[in-house]
Amino acid sequence: MSRFVPADFQPRLPLDRLILSEPPEAERIEMDVLFVGGGPAGLAGAIELAKLVKADNGEISIGVLEKASALGEHNLSGAVVNPRAFRELFPDLGDADFPFSTPVTKEGLYLLSAGGARRLPTPPTMKNHGNFIGSICEIVRWLGTKAEDLGVDIFPGFPAEALLTDGDKVLGVRTVATGLDRDGSELSNYMPPADITARVTALAEGTRGPLSQAYCEWQGLHGENPQIFALGVKELWELERPLDRVIHTMGWPLPNDAFGGSFMYPLEPKVVALGLVVGLDHPHRSLDVHVLLQQLKNHPLFRKYLEGGELVEWGAKTIPEGGFYALAPRRSGDGVVILGDAAGFVDVPSLKGIHYAMQSGMYAARAIFDGLKANDTSAAALSAYDRMVDESYIRDDLYRTRNIRPAFKDGFYKGSIKAGLMTVTGGRVFGRRIDMHADADVPRGSGGGVDVTPGALTVSKVDAVFKSANATRDNIPSHLIAVADVPADVAEFYSHVCPAGVYEVSGDGLRINAPNCIDCKATDVVGPRWMPREGGSGPAYKRM
Amino acid sequence: MAGVLVVLEQRDGKIKRVGHEALAAARALADAAGGEVHGLVIGGRSVAADGLGAFGADRVTVASDDATELYQPELYSATVADAEKMGDYAAVLISATALGRDLAPRVAAKLDCPLAADVTELSYDNGIVVKRPAYSGKATYTLRVTSPLVVISVRPNAYAPLESDKAGTIGEGAVTAGREGRAVTTAIKQPERAALDVTEASIVVAGGRGLKDAEHFTLVENLADALGAAVGASRAVVDAGWRPHSEQVGQTGKTVSPGLYFALGISGAVQHLAGMRTAKVIVAINKDADAPIFKVADYGIVGDLFEIVPRLTDEIRALKEH
Amino acid sequence: MKLAVCIKRTPDTETRIKIAGDGKRIDEAGVKFVLNTYDEYAVEEALQLKERAGSGEVVVVTAGTEASQETIRTALAMGADRGVLLKVDGASIDPLPVAKALADELRGGEYDVVLFGKLAIDDYSHATGPMVAELLGIPCVSAIAKLEIADGKGTAEREIEGGVEVVEFSLPAVVTADKGLNEPRYPALRGIMMAKKKPLEIKDVALADGGLEIVELALPPERQAGRIVGEGADAVPALIDALRNEAKVL
Repeated sequence: MSRFVPADFQPRLPLDRLILSEPPEAERIEMDVLFVGGGPAGLAGAIELAKLVKADNGEISIGVLEKASALGEHNLSGAVVNPRAFRELFPDLGDADFPFSTPVTKEGLYLLSAGGARRLPTPPTMKNHGNFIGSICEIVRWLGTKAEDLGVDIFPGFPAEALLTDGDKVLGVRTVATGLDRDGSELSNYMPPADITARVTALAEGTRGPLSQAYCEWQGLHGENPQIFALGVKELWELERPLDRVIHTMGWPLPNDAFGGSFMYPLEPKVVALGLVVGLDHPHRSLDVHVLLQQLKNHPLFRKYLEGGELVEWGAKTIPEGGFYALAPRRSGDGVVILGDAAGFVDVPSLKGIHYAMQSGMYAARAIFDGLKANDTSAAALSAYDRMVDESYIRDDLYRTRNIRPAFKDGFYKGSIKAGLMTVTGGRVFGRRIDMHADADVPRGSGGGVDVTPGALTVSKVDAVFKSANATRDNIPSHLIAVADVPADVAEFYSHVCPAGVYEVSGDGLRINAPNCIDCKATDVVGPRWMPREGGSGPAYKRM
Repeated sequence: MAGVLVVLEQRDGKIKRVGHEALAAARALADAAGGEVHGLVIGGRSVAADGLGAFGADRVTVASDDATELYQPELYSATVADAEKMGDYAAVLISATALGRDLAPRVAAKLDCPLAADVTELSYDNGIVVKRPAYSGKATYTLRVTSPLVVISVRPNAYAPLESDKAGTIGEGAVTAGREGRAVTTAIKQPERAALDVTEASIVVAGGRGLKDAEHFTLVENLADALGAAVGASRAVVDAGWRPHSEQVGQTGKTVSPGLYFALGISGAVQHLAGMRTAKVIVAINKDADAPIFKVADYGIVGDLFEIVPRLTDEIRALKEH
Repeated sequence: MKLAVCIKRTPDTETRIKIAGDGKRIDEAGVKFVLNTYDEYAVEEALQLKERAGSGEVVVVTAGTEASQETIRTALAMGADRGVLLKVDGASIDPLPVAKALADELRGGEYDVVLFGKLAIDDYSHATGPMVAELLGIPCVSAIAKLEIADGKGTAEREIEGGVEVVEFSLPAVVTADKGLNEPRYPALRGIMMAKKKPLEIKDVALADGGLEIVELALPPERQAGRIVGEGADAVPALIDALRNEAKVL
């Protein structure tokens, strides 16, 4: 079986659909500042901006667009949260008031083999003392009420499908139409797209945000290394047997040439979040993260907690892993800023992104506030946001670990050694940028597949999608763009990349079950493009 | 306890099966708490009310009038309320049919008493105790009645009709006249052959690849017709173009939660199970005894569905004509 | 045309039910609340009636806690003109006290049509609409699938077992909506923004005492293992017998 390069079968990003230069509709809605995405970055930004305006006795209209039908439903993370951004954003509140209640006490890192587990010393980058275990869904819902209390208008169920522009300036966004049939015709409750203009549009779309991707490609913005991604598949379990520690594992069941590991966190002693995160730059066509997670659960270390328990929720999401060298030279422009995961502010070695997302939102809010007051929301004015980020701990943390993830492109053992040396020397050893390939450019050969015997602890992809509470309308138009004539081996590759059973080999080609999609964006990285679709489609996570 | 007044629904002069079921429910309550069971039939010129003693009634009153041949909300509710006032009753039972679901709340409002709707079980424990479904059938309430009179609507199929050899007496009553009906039922039309929505039907008959090709789906349609059910299809069959997408059960996690679900020639591949698993009762017919569907089904028949399904359809039709 | 729609805030139908500690209610943690599905059809019908009449007002009324304001805003975002929240202390499993509170609010409002959803998906009582009609002394047609209003009179169709009832009625009247009556509109972004500015009156109301008390709210027992009743067409009678007398679904 020959190898293929996924990029050869990946459609181009349809900039003509995502960046519009026609003037906005006359019937448009005008706001002062619009945050696209109601996650930690967008909400923290809206809250900080609202507070600044209020303290200044001003009044502006701040809107937050969220594609899920309720805040939190499309958010997924581990998560062990660093509370520092919360403390800065809410100086009048104490840790007990924040939406995460379980402090990390014990933690362990294990190297797994098929039947065993060897405890490893926890690397300093992964030490979580002082941090808290939380659910990003609960965090987002909590931030949402704080934002609404401050007068921020939140609009769930309204995805943005395109940027409205005038020259290089971003004027606002156009939202997705609703009520279209599979063939694109209008149903009786059809609603056309709406145009929203704003003096500043803050793109907080999260991982692989389509508008953020389009803006960067349109403006030629990219980091020294391409951005790379991992796919995390996660489950929430209610247990019979309590768990009292944070667990991370490496090694089995991942092959040596795949980067990643697993986590198991107790949200409560008997409610645990567990997942497997794998970099998408592995060289295998059959590696299937969902299937590997099922295999992982049968390992004695996990089995002893999960036995007798119940799978309550399931989901998946990609994570930007490129770190420092994948950051674009600027994350701001005329009338626009890019926040959080969409900008790549994730530190892989410590597995943290939520507090960076919030902090970036807060810096953006300050730059936007100053811009509004000076009546100047040009690229020059908003570049103050970039300066704030570059002078902050966001930059410092990402710089310190800049080569750790890239080191693993040579395989697990070599990578571990390099990573260890980098950590110990604070990045002085192996300090020069390591060249990385985009995930789609990595050739895929055979292998990586495993067979898992179904059992009490395993769940199939379709049953799993059920547990994500995905209730997407069955006759919705497909939002995924694939090239014509996808060969069977590439179709099969997609079927393994996607955790939700969207892609199948059918006859000699590709069958797409678009309603299954849970917006993880994994195949958007290496294959068919994900485009915005009717609001409320996709998963409805509650405590992921 | 005082007695139980039971409204016995009739159609075209014959007492419907739900009426017998309501008598059984009333009997269960009256026997537990003491008291008599009195039936009330409201209908048109001629109503056949004999033999109701065997189903549990101590006494039956028939109120017949041209005006009440079809269900007339105001006349019926006034008649029931007046009948209640003429006796000493602790409960008024009405079948929770389309008619009953309209009649019962009106009677409760008229009598200024509580309504326990869609009840599946009645008992007595220092007061009348009922069970009824909630949250789309995902949970069950147990409620105790704290007032001296209650209107209870009884879910069809919750009670099986009794069979005894009691006689019971039949008397004549009057339809409460003089109330100008401001809502008047003028006709009963036959329904257009509009397909029942698969996500809402209380019975679903779904067919899979075991049917071998599109034409054989008539077996599914016939059984659905006999049951008054919606037709469903597995994804394989929709993909093959045999059935429209609107009939598909179980792909993206849409919950199809009927009271009764037939899986004909469906192996139970996971995509399908995920969509229909919450059905109350699942019946599977498949020629493969090891098909995964049998692990989820409550009842199953192993064999050739081309022989089994027509027989099942015939027997159900015969049953319904009863 | 003056129209009132009585609505209710209920859990989303897809919600996984967990019982609260006291065993009498659901655990509301993480539960998403929405406008009762059947009420969407009622609100939509009211909006269409107003549009067809050319002028009028659609008022939405709900009896609930403070949280029900959000539900009123959803209806306002669809296009209703104003809302009234009858703020009550708790819920009542007996539908009559709520019907009385609603009837008291609606009396004297001179509404041409008062619309309800045919049932609320949390309690399934199918009661409030007909009860309110009875208390107001006006006709009611419940579970309608089709509605026409002309010259102060209405014609509605409702599905019954094995047929469709056609009912003619005079106004004012109550109707309760079944699914399929219409296709409810999605609130537009503009509608959501304008909803915040529409009048929403909050009145404190004490519910009358009800006649039912909750002993318990419970989840159904675990699914028992099934059985094969037989082989071939000869097993059909056994199956039917099981469905009728054991499972009681036929």
